[in-house]
Amino acid sequence: MKTKKNPEPVDVVIVGAGAGGATAAKVLTEAGMRVVGLERGPWLKPEHASGDELKYLNRNFIWQDPKLKPRTYRQNDQQEAVVTNFSATPQVVGGGTTHWGGMVPRMTENDFKLRSIHGDIEGASLVDWPITYDELEPYYTRVEWEFGTSGLGGANRWEGRRSRGYPTKPSPLSQIGRTFATAMDKLGHSTFPMPQGMVTEPYRGRQPFSENGFWQQYPDPGTGKSSTLISFIPDAINTGLYDLRSDCYVSEILVGPDGKATGVRYQDEDGDEWVQQANAVIVCGGGIETPRLLLMSKSALFPDGLANSSGQVGRNATFHQYSFSVGLFDRDLTDPLYGWSGHYMSGCSFDFYETDESRGHILGSLIFPSNLGHPVNWSFPGRPTWGSAAKDADRELFNHTMKIGILLHDLPVESNRVDLDPTVTDAWGLPVARITHTPHANDFAQEKWQVAKNGEILEAAGARKVVPVNMERITGNTSHELGTTRMGDDPATSVVDRWCRTHDVPNLYVFDASFFPTATGINPALTIMANAWRCADQIIRVDSRGWARR
Amino acid sequence: MGQAEWVTVPISTRDVDGPIYFSEEDWRTIEAAAARIIPTDHHPGATEAHVVRFIDRMLAGTQFVFAAADGVGFLRMEGREEKAWTERIELRRELYRSGLNQLRELSSERFGSPFVDLTPEQQDAILEQVSGEPKPTKFTFDTPEDDGQGGAPAGNQPVNEDFLSFFPLLVLNTRQGFYSDPVYGGNENRIGWSVIGFDGPPTLASTMDGSYTTKKYMIVDAEWPYERHPEVLRYRRP
Repeated sequence: MKTKKNPEPVDVVIVGAGAGGATAAKVLTEAGMRVVGLERGPWLKPEHASGDELKYLNRNFIWQDPKLKPRTYRQNDQQEAVVTNFSATPQVVGGGTTHWGGMVPRMTENDFKLRSIHGDIEGASLVDWPITYDELEPYYTRVEWEFGTSGLGGANRWEGRRSRGYPTKPSPLSQIGRTFATAMDKLGHSTFPMPQGMVTEPYRGRQPFSENGFWQQYPDPGTGKSSTLISFIPDAINTGLYDLRSDCYVSEILVGPDGKATGVRYQDEDGDEWVQQANAVIVCGGGIETPRLLLMSKSALFPDGLANSSGQVGRNATFHQYSFSVGLFDRDLTDPLYGWSGHYMSGCSFDFYETDESRGHILGSLIFPSNLGHPVNWSFPGRPTWGSAAKDADRELFNHTMKIGILLHDLPVESNRVDLDPTVTDAWGLPVARITHTPHANDFAQEKWQVAKNGEILEAAGARKVVPVNMERITGNTSHELGTTRMGDDPATSVVDRWCRTHDVPNLYVFDASFFPTATGINPALTIMANAWRCADQIIRVDSRGWARR
Repeated sequence: MGQAEWVTVPISTRDVDGPIYFSEEDWRTIEAAAARIIPTDHHPGATEAHVVRFIDRMLAGTQFVFAAADGVGFLRMEGREEKAWTERIELRRELYRSGLNQLRELSSERFGSPFVDLTPEQQDAILEQVSGEPKPTKFTFDTPEDDGQGGAPAGNQPVNEDFLSFFPLLVLNTRQGFYSDPVYGGNENRIGWSVIGFDGPPTLASTMDGSYTTKKYMIVDAEWPYERHPEVLRYRRP
């Protein structure tokens, strides 16, 4: 390790350049602040991307290599955790907005007040959000317009008041979407176009997507798919105030004798160690890496990890779970579905989103139809694996399959958590995140009911065979990592306040999905970005008063 | 050097005709085994797709792990990632070595000939024994789903092959060689895709410049509410 002169102090250092970190960088730099971004992953550009299934889905080009960055998992405290690639999420500039399918529905008004609605649920740590839909609404609109989205305002009748529609029209209907919409209508249910992080018309200098079909899990070689990589990061860089350093791994948040954060310690790609000082630190590493970094940042003042006086850092972890029913269609009876055309999914429904206790559980999820993958990874439960039986199945069913999925709205449970593994370390010698997680009974009930319902929809669509794919446990297969630095008004029971500032350290913030007090049944990125914008505004308006000039 | 700075080396999996890694004998054995995993019938199979070349290049080293985005050349891996892949490939080489030994021994014990000289039925019997399961039977809509070994699609997560033993690894690699982009050495002339009706891209570059599109398979003019739109109502009706 060499000793070199540390970089100059700045106003804000942001750890991570995904949905939350890049939004904060844009808003703060556009207000004139000097910001350094530290992203542990590479800064891959759109020209690094193409429709290469093997590279992206099997050889993990943008996913963390589990040999270098392992995680461990156990169900409960009595078990020994084992190395598992839990919640693989791209650690790259742009974060989860690079590989995502771009689902950007808004939370419903009820999502903000679930404890008020349901009261105490045994075995769960259900709480209201300290903010309301109305407080977030202006920021939802800003993100939808600045980031670039497609959809149809007013088509989702479960949505709260909306001040503006979407900037571009919905993406085109695929055969899977056609099949879903007609089957849902037949059953008396409603559907609407999936709100998506993409532009479908020329917009802010971006060209509409090419429909190459390599969408979910593939970064976009063009400018159709919205990611912070091609929107908010260039916006921030264009101010001249955002210094984004990729391949830089933050290992500790530093604090001064007054208990305030002074900056971070990080290693660059050559292994050289640096200290970046700043007036404020914003952590945006995701709901697993963020609590890990807080817990690694132990000091005399903070012996249990930073911002952890409540003991809540890492707790109440929710991860969603993607479960689904698979529909197999008879090619002699049904037109081909060509699942690989379009954008993985097409259309969605909120008909099962709000609680209906007659179903035997509370909460619910959005549902949406999608393909079963490209040729290498296309599969269904019971598929013959080799010989002529396998070849026949591929030939007869590849174009005649689809699934309808859910995003489990899982309940927060205090004992479900992220902490530091006592023995396993990463390739840098630092302790890895250990996940301890057992789903709540309501999670299983909700998942089972909705997967069966999705099977009924597939039957109505004409599927000859329906196969439910239920979870045995939560695996982190959505890359959604939520709740581990819970937002709340009470410092005894939450880690960050309503502005996502830690209760314990007044100039330390968490802007990724770690703040989510409850999981919601939708994809989190839009809410992460809207909330990051809202909280960055508060830094500009209030918290930065009296900061040393940088 | 970070992943974004890896340079492209102008090499192709087709620069050499035969094996780079395998011995001639191992090459022929794997080729014969792959031909039983995806057999040739009225459509081409693993042999015509050159699946064995795909597997050979996968085992040859880190030079063929990641194709350049446009498919012209391969990325030269560096640093920790390169080291991790070197270890991963070494593990797979060991699995293939011991798997090939097993095929050799079983063929000799049971039928007194090398695997490549056995009849297809004898080869299947050996593969059944190696797999520890009966050969998969034809899928029908009435078959219970726990009959087949293939699982659900991985959903939204990367597939991890690191924990597979020899036979499932060979099956998956055969599938990868049949269906992955031809740049990796298999799927010759995209015949794997044509067998199953995937109208895939002519080149990786065509997925980058918008020239390859799946638009014709969609109902681009349909507007919401879709179920009442004439384009949907008259879909595929004369």
